[in-house]
Amino acid sequence: MDMNEIKEIFFQECEEQLAELESGLLKLNDGDRDPETVNAVFRAVHSIKGGAGAFGLDDLVSFAHVFETTLDCVRSNRLDPGPEVLKVMLKSADVLADLTNAARDGGSVDEARSRQLIKELEALANGEVPQASAAAPAPVEVVAKPVAAVAPPPVSNEGFQPVAFSFDDFDAAEEPPLMEMPTYEIVFKPKSDLYAKGNEATLLLRDLSRLGEMSIHCDMGALPTLERLSPESAYFSWKIQLATDKGEDAIRTVFEFAEWDCDLEISLVEDEATQSGEELPMQPVPFDLSILDDEPAVSVGVVEEEEQLASRQQDIRNAAVSAAGTASNVLQMAQSAARAPAEKAAPAASAAQSAAAQQAAASAGTPTIRVDLDRVDRLINLVGELVINQAMLSQSVVENDANGTSSINMGLEELQQLTREIQDSVMAIRAQPVKPVFQRMSRIVREIADMTGKSVRLITEGENTEVDKTVIDKLAEPLTHMIRNAVDHGLETPEKRLAAGKSAEGTVRLTAKHRSGRIVIELADDGAGINREKVRQKAIDNDLIAADANLSDEEIDNLIFHAGFSTADKISDISGRGVGMDVVKRSIQALGGRINISSKPGHGSVFTMSLPLTLAVLDGMVVTVANQTLVVPLTAIVETLQPEASAIHSFGSNQRLISIRNSFCPLVDVGRILNFRAIQANPVEGVALLVESEGGGQRALMVDAIQGQRQVVIKSLEANYTHVPGIAAATILGDGRVALILDVDTIVAASRGQSLKPEMSLAAAG
Amino acid sequence: MASKKTAQKTLSLAPVLDLNEATALHEKLIALKGSDIVIDASAVERVGTLCVQVLMAGAKTWEEDHLSFTFSKVSDAFEKTTQLIGVEIDHLVAKEI
Repeated sequence: MDMNEIKEIFFQECEEQLAELESGLLKLNDGDRDPETVNAVFRAVHSIKGGAGAFGLDDLVSFAHVFETTLDCVRSNRLDPGPEVLKVMLKSADVLADLTNAARDGGSVDEARSRQLIKELEALANGEVPQASAAAPAPVEVVAKPVAAVAPPPVSNEGFQPVAFSFDDFDAAEEPPLMEMPTYEIVFKPKSDLYAKGNEATLLLRDLSRLGEMSIHCDMGALPTLERLSPESAYFSWKIQLATDKGEDAIRTVFEFAEWDCDLEISLVEDEATQSGEELPMQPVPFDLSILDDEPAVSVGVVEEEEQLASRQQDIRNAAVSAAGTASNVLQMAQSAARAPAEKAAPAASAAQSAAAQQAAASAGTPTIRVDLDRVDRLINLVGELVINQAMLSQSVVENDANGTSSINMGLEELQQLTREIQDSVMAIRAQPVKPVFQRMSRIVREIADMTGKSVRLITEGENTEVDKTVIDKLAEPLTHMIRNAVDHGLETPEKRLAAGKSAEGTVRLTAKHRSGRIVIELADDGAGINREKVRQKAIDNDLIAADANLSDEEIDNLIFHAGFSTADKISDISGRGVGMDVVKRSIQALGGRINISSKPGHGSVFTMSLPLTLAVLDGMVVTVANQTLVVPLTAIVETLQPEASAIHSFGSNQRLISIRNSFCPLVDVGRILNFRAIQANPVEGVALLVESEGGGQRALMVDAIQGQRQVVIKSLEANYTHVPGIAAATILGDGRVALILDVDTIVAASRGQSLKPEMSLAAAG
Repeated sequence: MASKKTAQKTLSLAPVLDLNEATALHEKLIALKGSDIVIDASAVERVGTLCVQVLMAGAKTWEEDHLSFTFSKVSDAFEKTTQLIGVEIDHLVAKEI
């Protein structure tokens, strides 16, 4: 593992932190005032800043620093997170994400925007917000590189920059600052992680000593003899008395990057008696420590360690560093969880309390590991092959073993179950909540709302719904486009909305849920809905439909999915990029999904996407049609039945209906639609599969015979051959033959008169 | 410090005693167990907590073994660091006579 890999882990963690940041800010935006939410937001920015500091990503550090300072004001109740404040913070989160991406792969950052936001954040921190109380003091000026900026050793005020700080933390807000230098008692117990991450207690203590007059007691009680000593573990802990006029925040700043890897208690010694009554032998720390300043520019030893890591290439240590980094996140969460209630009651005691709770919470958390996606994919492929192989084996055993009761058969059944379980477990590894994609959408909504001057509220539901990672990855693009459309075209301007009797703020609702083995994603807006007249006229102008075509409302709505269709009068920056809804539809279809629109004029539109949970396997019914073996996805099938002659009714030239429990259902001859045969088969000789199509209607698909139900491994036709209308994918059967997997919706659509393309019959025969 | 009958060994410390050096120093000390030891810390330019911990664990171990553990010379940086972190080494430093 080299430095780049560690950096890559940092960026992965950044992604998580950014997601955490955004969801926290959105919660605050929704009126959540839970201190833990504020803490989570603060922690996210703090962690990014810490890591960025270690890698020398100065732009990121300086922005994160300003952001963090403002968040600290919220955390300490000096700044009320009202809508205006949160607007700035959400934008800042976006810029922070941009800066992270730029640091990762050199993406561009709008520097003017970033500078502007830094100004806005600083203004907020300085209390320049109408909602904030006028008396709110400026937050402590914390510096990104404490060592470099801290005043030189002497305790005198020489060279001391005026620093405003708040006493809010010690219930002394109303009192004027103490005339004498306050003395703090600091208990500092590093954990082994602190050293593993390249922090160094000596440097922290050196920085601390520069804040004032310090005496120290080192507790070596935990130190074992040499044999039992683990050289990289932490044994020393310290009790420090520090007389300083720089305030507790300045002390905390020293420990800023080490905060999560040590137990730290800071308390103000108010009574001289308690101070002198201390029995521990305290050693005064010499003022002149300049000899230790061999690397004045280095902040807290982190960069120093980085260099060593790079130079020494010690894999084990590097692994330890990254592992410690990952573990620290868990600890951080635990720590703040413990801290939230404690902080209100007694700030000084909170650290001790949190330490205990932290241990408990850390061990209770579910441990996770990071695994290369490639490895998971390889495993999934192998399991796919295993399933095929197992099917082949079963088949050859059945063929060679007439009585079917042998122990081999029983063994095979067990193997089949095991294979199934392995497959389910492997698929579960890839399953991920759609949350990250949904979160990205909120940024898009914000930006487009800004650009169009519309006021939009994005509501997301079911973001923990899980779906295969491949589906998630491919979902972002079509979803982005649809969201853009919804805000740009769907929602009206605030004036128009008010005129229509709606609230000025438009709502876009993004929901995900599982429905019968698929994931259904709905995007609803409460805008004007589709202007059917305009769409129809446009379709006629573009020769998509005949001028006198008689189309249902649904059919008109679906016209927007045709290539090159755009109703925007002028092409806007946002959605009119020549990429139409047809591209969205194609991307969804490529995923084995379907998309539908329903629109109510004046009330908005709803786009419904239905996608498979996985692109790797599916439960299918294996059927025969005109001597071809096809697989029908089981999720589409409602029931199967053997039609009786009396139930079949003909009408028109070649349309037939089947009567099922006193209702009629159109009969669709799959063989005919796919051009497997020239004339319609006799329904009585075959089997009808009652299927439900995306539009909601039922159809009876006619096949010749059912071979059985089987889990099949999906092999993409697009990747291995080419797209075939009416066919979703292919699979390999137990006997090694290729079987085509039916795209039920296309077949149903074709039965309504929209014919499949001519290459169909050729492809199906091939 | 009076020398004892057992052979006295000397360990010269490296200039940089950081996290990477802690394990090496630990091993070196363990290898020298069983004899009086004189540590030469005159070349030390930088010393981290982990190495101080190792050295102090050494001092403790030698004390338990009733053997002598002394610093012959210490650099200014070594001394300042130990003072900074509150580790008392005066009693271990050989006094010039």
